[in-house]
Amino acid sequence: MTSESKSLSEYKYKAGTNRLGLWLFLLSDLFIFAGLFVARFYLLGVEFRPEVNQVLGLVITSVLLLSSYFMYSAETAMRLGEERKFFLNILITIGLGILFLVGVVGVEWQIAPGSPSDGVEWSIFYIMTGFHAFHVFTGVLFLIIVYRNARKGLYSSERHFPVEAAAVYWHFVDVVWIFFYPALYLIGSSVG
Amino acid sequence: MEAKKTSANRIGITVLILLVMLTIGEFLIGAFTEGLWTALLIIALIKAFFVVRDYMHISRLFISEQEVEE
Repeated sequence: MTSESKSLSEYKYKAGTNRLGLWLFLLSDLFIFAGLFVARFYLLGVEFRPEVNQVLGLVITSVLLLSSYFMYSAETAMRLGEERKFFLNILITIGLGILFLVGVVGVEWQIAPGSPSDGVEWSIFYIMTGFHAFHVFTGVLFLIIVYRNARKGLYSSERHFPVEAAAVYWHFVDVVWIFFYPALYLIGSSVG
Repeated sequence: MEAKKTSANRIGITVLILLVMLTIGEFLIGAFTEGLWTALLIIALIKAFFVVRDYMHISRLFISEQEVEE
């Protein structure tokens, strides 16, 4: 075995261990989101929801789902050695992530008829969207770091675990929103 | 290599189309009906399943590193 192939073999072993650690971290993070999800139904049941803009909810959800597709394309491009496609797709993902944040914090929070202190429906709405938005924000930061490191040539088609980790984290945030979207925007009748 | 690229692109697009269709479906259910919360949660579960399986590659946790590259 040459030193290069031994080094690659070690890298792959470490990547496997890191992958397990990443998923364990996400599982622990999931418990917090699950707690918020359950709290929403405990407080409001399935009859009520905050008076939110359903069309805006659909738009921001579409933006996040679309970003997941571009993140998938970016990771696949890196794995298959398509550098240009990787950079294009990760930049689009970052842009869509920022657009989602603008949609939630810059628009939804501004036009919402209630504040966090206006009753349980608004308290739970702000804590769920706020905690999720913070994860999107950290995801965007993570993607920017990965983009910068890729520009420096730190990753290759064989050695790119940070790209995979950023992608998995991004999709995790998307999965959380897949459950938060109906819980906040669709289930129940609105209460002001 | 070309076959891998085509396969990966097809998976990405197929999952995206599924997610879009299911999201439109749940929006219509949420906007025009009441009380179908179980249907909405089932749709969310289906969407999450495809993202976790195809975008997050959860199967990589259960295979060797050599197979991941393949």
